[in-house]
Amino acid sequence: MRKILGISALLFVVCVVTASLSNSFLSAYNLENLIRRTALFGIISIGVAFVIVTGGIDLSVGSVVCLVGCGVPWLLTTHGWSVPAALAAAVVASLGIGLFHGLMITRLRLPPFVVTLCGLLLYRGIARGFTRDQTVGFGSEYKGLRAMATGEIPIPFVSGFSLPAPWIFLLVVAIVAAVFLNRTVFGRHLLALGSNEQAARYSGIKTGRMTVLAYVISSGLAGLGGLLFVLDVNSAQPVDFGNFYELYAIAAAVLGGCSLRGGEGTIVGVIVGAALMQVLRNMITLVTTHNNIEFAIIGAVILAGVTADELVRRMAARKRARQEAAANAA
Amino acid sequence: MNKHSTPVASSRVLSKLQILIVAPWIAGLIAALCVAGCNKSTEGGSGGGGASSGGKKKVAFVSNGVASFWTIAAAGVKAAGEKVGVETETLMPVEGISDQKRIIEDLLTRGIDGIAVSPIDPVNQTELLNRAAKRTPLVTHDSDAPGSDRAVYIGMDNYGAGRLCGDLVREAMPKGGTVMLFIGRLEQDNAKRRRQGVIDAILGRPSNPTNFDPPSGVIEGNGFRILGTLTDQFDRAKGKANAEDALAKYPDLGCMVGLFAYNPPLLLEALAQANKLGQVKVVAFDEDDATLAGIQKGSVHGTVVQNPYMYGYKSVEVLAELAKGNQAVIPASKFIDIPARQIRKAEVDAFWADLKAKTGAK
Amino acid sequence: MTPPPLLLQATGLIKSYPGVRALKGVSLTLRRGEVLAVIGENGAGKSTLMKILAGVQQPDGGSIAVDGREVRLSSVLDAQALGIALIHQELNLADNLDVAANIFLGRERLKRGLIDTRRHLEDARVHLAAVGLSVDPATSVGTLSLGQQQLVEIAKALSVDARVLIFDEPTSSLSSSEAANLFRVIEELRSRGVGIVYISHRLGEVKALADRVVVLRDGENAGELPKSGIEHNAMVRMMVGRDLSQFYAHEPHPPGPVALEVDGLRTAAHPEHPLSFRVHAGEIVGVAGLVGAGRTEMLEALFGVTPPVAGVVRVAGVEVQPESPRDAIRAGLALVPEDRKRQGVILQMAVRENVSLAALQRDSRHGFLDRVREDGLAAAMIGSLRIKTPSAEQPVQFLSGGNQQKVVLGKWLAMKPKVLLLDEPTRGIDVGAKHEIYRLMEDLAREGVAILFVSSELEEILGLSDRTLVLHEGRITGELSRNALSEEAVLHLATDTEALA
Repeated sequence: MRKILGISALLFVVCVVTASLSNSFLSAYNLENLIRRTALFGIISIGVAFVIVTGGIDLSVGSVVCLVGCGVPWLLTTHGWSVPAALAAAVVASLGIGLFHGLMITRLRLPPFVVTLCGLLLYRGIARGFTRDQTVGFGSEYKGLRAMATGEIPIPFVSGFSLPAPWIFLLVVAIVAAVFLNRTVFGRHLLALGSNEQAARYSGIKTGRMTVLAYVISSGLAGLGGLLFVLDVNSAQPVDFGNFYELYAIAAAVLGGCSLRGGEGTIVGVIVGAALMQVLRNMITLVTTHNNIEFAIIGAVILAGVTADELVRRMAARKRARQEAAANAA
Repeated sequence: MNKHSTPVASSRVLSKLQILIVAPWIAGLIAALCVAGCNKSTEGGSGGGGASSGGKKKVAFVSNGVASFWTIAAAGVKAAGEKVGVETETLMPVEGISDQKRIIEDLLTRGIDGIAVSPIDPVNQTELLNRAAKRTPLVTHDSDAPGSDRAVYIGMDNYGAGRLCGDLVREAMPKGGTVMLFIGRLEQDNAKRRRQGVIDAILGRPSNPTNFDPPSGVIEGNGFRILGTLTDQFDRAKGKANAEDALAKYPDLGCMVGLFAYNPPLLLEALAQANKLGQVKVVAFDEDDATLAGIQKGSVHGTVVQNPYMYGYKSVEVLAELAKGNQAVIPASKFIDIPARQIRKAEVDAFWADLKAKTGAK
Repeated sequence: MTPPPLLLQATGLIKSYPGVRALKGVSLTLRRGEVLAVIGENGAGKSTLMKILAGVQQPDGGSIAVDGREVRLSSVLDAQALGIALIHQELNLADNLDVAANIFLGRERLKRGLIDTRRHLEDARVHLAAVGLSVDPATSVGTLSLGQQQLVEIAKALSVDARVLIFDEPTSSLSSSEAANLFRVIEELRSRGVGIVYISHRLGEVKALADRVVVLRDGENAGELPKSGIEHNAMVRMMVGRDLSQFYAHEPHPPGPVALEVDGLRTAAHPEHPLSFRVHAGEIVGVAGLVGAGRTEMLEALFGVTPPVAGVVRVAGVEVQPESPRDAIRAGLALVPEDRKRQGVILQMAVRENVSLAALQRDSRHGFLDRVREDGLAAAMIGSLRIKTPSAEQPVQFLSGGNQQKVVLGKWLAMKPKVLLLDEPTRGIDVGAKHEIYRLMEDLAREGVAILFVSSELEEILGLSDRTLVLHEGRITGELSRNALSEEAVLHLATDTEALA
């Protein structure tokens, strides 16, 4: 909980600072935009968080976003597939990619970094291959499908503000993920495996299967994210669609308290981390007139957050050691 | 979980099951890779071989990235190749400047009878371009490298095209107002000049391509306030977010100008979601389908189109002559103008029909 | 005759780690040309003391004097400057560099800004001669034997003019001839006036080498023996604080039916030697042998960590194929592994989560955790095993070694195993907790659990087991009943045909 407290405080501070510098920040329109973007990035970040909890890494997220984001409109508009068929293909492809990663990592014992790095190259390449580098999009069609990402759900008794549809997806994903991680045997096994794979195996946990599951979740949510991204933006160019999104997702997960050494992580923290990234980008556009320093600011804030967190943790450990020493001496 | 089966049996069965699940996947991936690979080899022009194999000259057309714009240009390249009887090849670098350098170097290594290139960073690529120009006829298209030894620049004057775009803004907002500019990135020469042309035309400054207003900071004059220039580094989600943030920051924004081909459609997406279509004027660049549809519907005031088909066509024509040793095709100005045009509601239908004809309208 | 001058004097050293008070006021003195042995059980504080003397760690209290002047050793460099060097249990050499480069690592001699390799080689030869090592200094360290590497470490220490050399378990991974050579080098160093602090578990070595013995127990000085008083039983008495007969409250157990039957088991490490033996319910069987005899490999094969390549395993008459720990656990086996922190517990997780880890699935409702049952289980184990922890939610990393080991035991007791395998169950835990672990093992045997335990501490084997298997290079070289059990008999079988030193 303490870790979420820190990042939440940081988010709060950034929000207060932005609101005081820009009147538009708290406008309903801007908040709706922020919630929608946070939801989109939050979904892919939660997926990556599962892999990070096991002590692994998934660098292929951005490319899976690209594959699904380009694949679905390509199947629909170029090949005339029906919506259910195209969505089924997206589900099969993204889950299949996760399964493929997981088995390469657990059965062939290849390092996750290498497997998913190759995935990063592979899936974008495949997307570019089948689209022949053409921009794909929905044009003015598929309004119903696109409502998944662009639709808004009115809140009773509140006018002028409605919830963007992706928020519903995020909420469902987050609740299922949190219950899974904290309330089920599988979740506990996943955390145990991330903290100490050997000890988990010695305790009779099917570590291989749990690892595979984590990668399936990661790719599956990347696929869902890719679908929602393209439905929101309406067009996708395979060369750059979803570029670097794996890094945004990993950054959000780490900001949210997932240790890259594994075994730690909370879903709420990841969402807060994703929100922080989006608010920072929003802030830079709203309160400054040049957005080219955006990455510098995001990098600096993340570094500061992570550093502060590490210092607090060390102070707590030192305090604890002193207390124990005193207790023992007594 | 199989609590009742014996442990050994269950683990064996499982591994078989997993293989069954994975096998089609791996097969699928391999198949996809093969298809991708085949496509590439067919796209790469008819047959490998060195330059001048079989007597036919061979020229290459190198873009600055991947876009539908370049697909139209590729159609022009192909048409001209067939007409003047040279082999052609269109190459699109995917990873920016280093990829473009690799492509040019590979072409030189392999042997080629002429290269047309749209340099990504003209100032810093001069050395590479000069090296290429020593070994083969070299022309620039779309974006010029005036400091290099290229034989000629084929394209439009981006500054002039920008001014055409700025004139559309003044047309759309006769009483002046606030304007926001959206662009992929600013380091390319054509992007800088295009943006400057827009600004100078809006402010009613006399034509001077050497002007430069820094991208941060508000520029005012002539009844207009140009609030800023937002870049997105080709990340479309970011491009849309830029549009949304601009709408949030300036609720009374008058006009949005999308300067790269994919920017106007993103502006329209953001406006549609904010229920501000038609309320905020949109002025566009290039001929994305969504942009043209927007002009038809009235949500886009107009767009400035280049003629990528002619870039490709003219480049091949010139290179074919140069390869034969005919220098007469080079004008004294070293500039072959392929002028840009303004497309408004009145012109859009005819323009679109012609475009579909040229690209073979799949 | 006046005694030689004092080199090193430590007084009242105190050091605490989270959860453990490692030193509670330890003192010792070392004179020129003296070999001082420091002995004590695991967890007595020897390693901590040595780290403080070598400047690796800083004490919370007490003082250190070198040549009669009080000093502060705030780093290894400080200690080195005063002529104190530590030869680690795990050697600290760079395998990929040559001998000379290792000797001068960190203080390379330069010539015109570049490393003066020729001078390195020449100087290294002198230092190597001093420790009786005849290898070319340009040899890569990775190609040397462990004993030779150790001599390189000593040569490295001598090259900085070390006057105090601290050896931490130097013979633990040496062959007997390598050990004999090391002893010759130590004798030579002593005659040159170097002071030597020698830590070892091997009382035979201590008796042969030491001029004086300091015994530590539970972080305190338990006593000191002069050269004339160095004798096996006296040392053991001081180390454990009571007679062995009291310490191991062994009573023979009437063995029940066969609980574990192993027939022709071949491990992946030693596939050439089939292993066959039985353990009865209620019986405690010890497994003795030297490091590398294949004891851990045998337990790991039984538990499915590294599945056996051949052989039959039956638990209570039912045949088991241990393909994974999961299979072994289902069959009623449990393993308390050798490396507690890496294989036994999950340090970041709470006591509760560790104790429930193996039983989680059994106690769940359709895959969902049953917190009531989990809390109940944790509370029951904390109570019955007397795990000292502020609460069930305490992360295991803040518990002492003994309590961590009890958490591992608790995890397995929750599964009610038929056969309990233990690998070095008391390594690195203090005397009090050791005693409790022994008592628990006795209790479990009395309740009918079959116990098979591996230990490198002969006293433990002698004190606890009803029967003892001795392994040597992957083979069972003998089985000793309680009557036939003696240190000599075990050592004889453990070294097989090799004559005892």
